[in-house]
Amino acid sequence: MACGSTKLWNGEATWFCCGNAWGPCASAGGGACGTCRSSALQAAWPNASKACWDLTRPDLCGEDIPRRGCGSVMKVRHDCSGASVCVTVSDCGPRTRSFCSESTCCDGVCRTNRVIDLTPAAFSAIGSLSSGTLPVSIFE
Amino acid sequence: MSAYRTGDPLGRRRFLTAAALRGATVIGTGALSTGALSTGALGTGVIGATALGAVDADAAFAAPIRPLDPAVAESAFAEGRITAINHDVLEVAGSYGDHSRVRVTNATSVWKARATTAADIETGDGLYARGLPLPDGTLAADAVWVNIVNLHATIRGIEKTRLHLAHGQHEIVGNLMARTTSAAYGDASPTADLSRLTIGQSAQVLGAWRPSDGSVDLVRVAVAPGAGRRR
Repeated sequence: MACGSTKLWNGEATWFCCGNAWGPCASAGGGACGTCRSSALQAAWPNASKACWDLTRPDLCGEDIPRRGCGSVMKVRHDCSGASVCVTVSDCGPRTRSFCSESTCCDGVCRTNRVIDLTPAAFSAIGSLSSGTLPVSIFE
Repeated sequence: MSAYRTGDPLGRRRFLTAAALRGATVIGTGALSTGALSTGALGTGVIGATALGAVDADAAFAAPIRPLDPAVAESAFAEGRITAINHDVLEVAGSYGDHSRVRVTNATSVWKARATTAADIETGDGLYARGLPLPDGTLAADAVWVNIVNLHATIRGIEKTRLHLAHGQHEIVGNLMARTTSAAYGDASPTADLSRLTIGQSAQVLGAWRPSDGSVDLVRVAVAPGAGRRR
């Protein structure tokens, strides 16, 4: 599937580790899809399945995020820099409901609610890992 | 402090490549950090943030983001544990049995719980590195994040100098660092006031893993807006 340009959603992107890894991430495992690796350009999506949705519950934050399962391809664009990266959905997350109304801003642009979780490889392609979150738009 | 250098007329690829080919002038006089098992030494020169660089977390969070160099699309990525340090090259054992050689240049920003210098990098550390692949097979890093973790956890206990965190099925000790650890309560700016953290809260923990004991030095603990609000 191609990395498209049709707007899908926007919000905050966070990052997470998965697969074989070091430190506290050593127990992360391959994620809900079984294929997740920190060094790959991948993402966790809060509605990767019904079971996933029940855990993340973005609707509790007002986000009726559509379902996109394992293997779906998305383009994630940093809303201020314009830098983008193509990722494959490989896990379930982030737990949107735990951080309702949280927002991230840059250059006056703010995005609210965690809607996608990127691997370190994907997140670092568009921003600094030490920032923790980024405001993004998502395309497919 | 600005998270991103401004007015840099050099292209990222040209700058990194030049720095690497010059022999990385950052290298030289630095002594090994205590406890390092390295076979070489990294220099002590301060390596500041770059246009893409690793910087202090709070500064990065608050500062405006500048456009990235288009060359970012050509970036490569490496992760794993550092097995040796040979002058300006970090030998990295990847988590899937692969091996990378990460070259630290004077254009590299280094993060290890804060913006720091290459002298703070030790064998045994974990890293994520982003940069440009060079013809010699090394990765000329524009950013290296050492031991960085960003975990979704639940606060299970609060002490004066540490938090007890549950991460999945595992318990993690989070070390509070004076003048460094901050709390982010939703969309408010990070603050040194940790008094609103409470047991049972979900928290996003950004910090640096300590290979020696498995604990995490806490840089920022983020909780949901309204969580722990004073009554």
